[in-house]
Amino acid sequence: MKDLVDVVVIGGGSAGLAAAVTAAREGATVRLLERHGFLGGMGTASLVHTFCGLYLLRQEPEAVLANPGLPSEIAGRMIAATGQGPVRMGRVDVLPQHPVEFVRIADELVAGEPSLDVRWHTEVTGASRDGDGWEIAWSCRGQAGKTRAAAVVDASGDAVLADWIGAPAEMTESPKLQRPAYVFGVQGVESSNDPLTLAGWLVEGVRAGDLPSAALGLTFRSSGRPGESFGTLDLTGAEQQDGYDPLDPACLSRLEVEGRKVASAAVNFLRARANGWQRAFVSHWPARAGVRESRRWMGETRLLGPDILSGRRFGDEIALATWPLELRETAKGAKLRFPEGDRPAGIPLGCLRVKGEDRLFVAGRCISCDHDAQASIRVMGTGFATGQAAGLAAATRADGGEMTEVIKRLRPVF
Amino acid sequence: MSGDTKEHPTPATVTAWLRDEGIVELEETFPADGDLFLAGLDSMAVMQLVVAAEERFGAVLGPADLAKDRLATPIALARLLEEKRA
Repeated sequence: MKDLVDVVVIGGGSAGLAAAVTAAREGATVRLLERHGFLGGMGTASLVHTFCGLYLLRQEPEAVLANPGLPSEIAGRMIAATGQGPVRMGRVDVLPQHPVEFVRIADELVAGEPSLDVRWHTEVTGASRDGDGWEIAWSCRGQAGKTRAAAVVDASGDAVLADWIGAPAEMTESPKLQRPAYVFGVQGVESSNDPLTLAGWLVEGVRAGDLPSAALGLTFRSSGRPGESFGTLDLTGAEQQDGYDPLDPACLSRLEVEGRKVASAAVNFLRARANGWQRAFVSHWPARAGVRESRRWMGETRLLGPDILSGRRFGDEIALATWPLELRETAKGAKLRFPEGDRPAGIPLGCLRVKGEDRLFVAGRCISCDHDAQASIRVMGTGFATGQAAGLAAATRADGGEMTEVIKRLRPVF
Repeated sequence: MSGDTKEHPTPATVTAWLRDEGIVELEETFPADGDLFLAGLDSMAVMQLVVAAEERFGAVLGPADLAKDRLATPIALARLLEEKRA
């Protein structure tokens, strides 16, 4: 027998977690389908160890949370877990986060919601219409199943649902697509190393021919735990071959191999040369390389780069985008574009909705926007916020409620 | 090409060079004592800087030279690059 729930959420990254928990708190029965054995997506499987987009941009010291509700709750839980508050890096406030703590915090959030049922190790394989609602097909280790739902949230990051139902979607061409990051853990680092000195060693290694030039895309940061650092390697994405395509398994496979190869070489080199690294070792690989941008929905409203840069506000906004455009179109580090007057932009509910579909919502990095706006909204702090909105919208719709209610409930909080 | 056939770094040429190489995005009016780290210089950009400094100024920077205060402004950086010219 097929099972039936109010809301199915596809993908348990930052957006899917927020969507599922929010929908469950609204009283909906929720099924969250996640391919890994834990939630958190980029923040856990890909070891991205900073929550960006949680705080307003401001000149004054002290970080101010931008989006209330679950984004603020998760920030508070993370601060309690790590003992580390927000940090100003250049002009932006970020929250250092630890992937191990994030996995556990997600478990706690799920455990608090009896009407939320997470199915791990489950890959969604298709979707079709089922009366007014949806039938979502999935597979777990060769066992196929279907779940029926009154409403669905696509938090897959790759707009997978758009492909299955033939809805409009787009993907930026490879040369401009944001480059991926490969993040790995290192332990046994004895002294807290200045990142600039390490950068100097990496250049030495490349000069001497001991390291591939890809090592120039690598930076290290302490995890906040004793002796532990994360290395973040920006890859070109088209390792040894042309055309970066984050939806192509052959391309993704090359990323994983290249990431591990460069990381291993760099840590071996630093162990031989850098002070305090004599006993360092790679302690964990990510479950997957970190993709920043892939396919996006083309929804009712398309948020544009100029909307972010002018701090545009909307009548139907459901969250604030506060992160600057963080362009990673090359593997040479970030280029940031800040909005006028550091103003936040509104994210309209229309970016989470698709024309003619009133029981389908989108959250996270694949909401409807252009390449430039995606460079702001893709970050996890904003993913919690769009996820929260999509979860509230899906639960409201499954219960026969109106979208005006969703906007009314989320809008006044800014 | 030896170091002495290459240009001597000044705060103004260093600022223009950082901008032209795309190492840090700097306004035309960026001051000689402006904070490059606040303007976006980070460890990955420093690696590009080290590679490009050898090419442009013949200055070879090693790990021990990369202290934050020696890179922090166009004035400090021009001084460091001059000192490290081969």
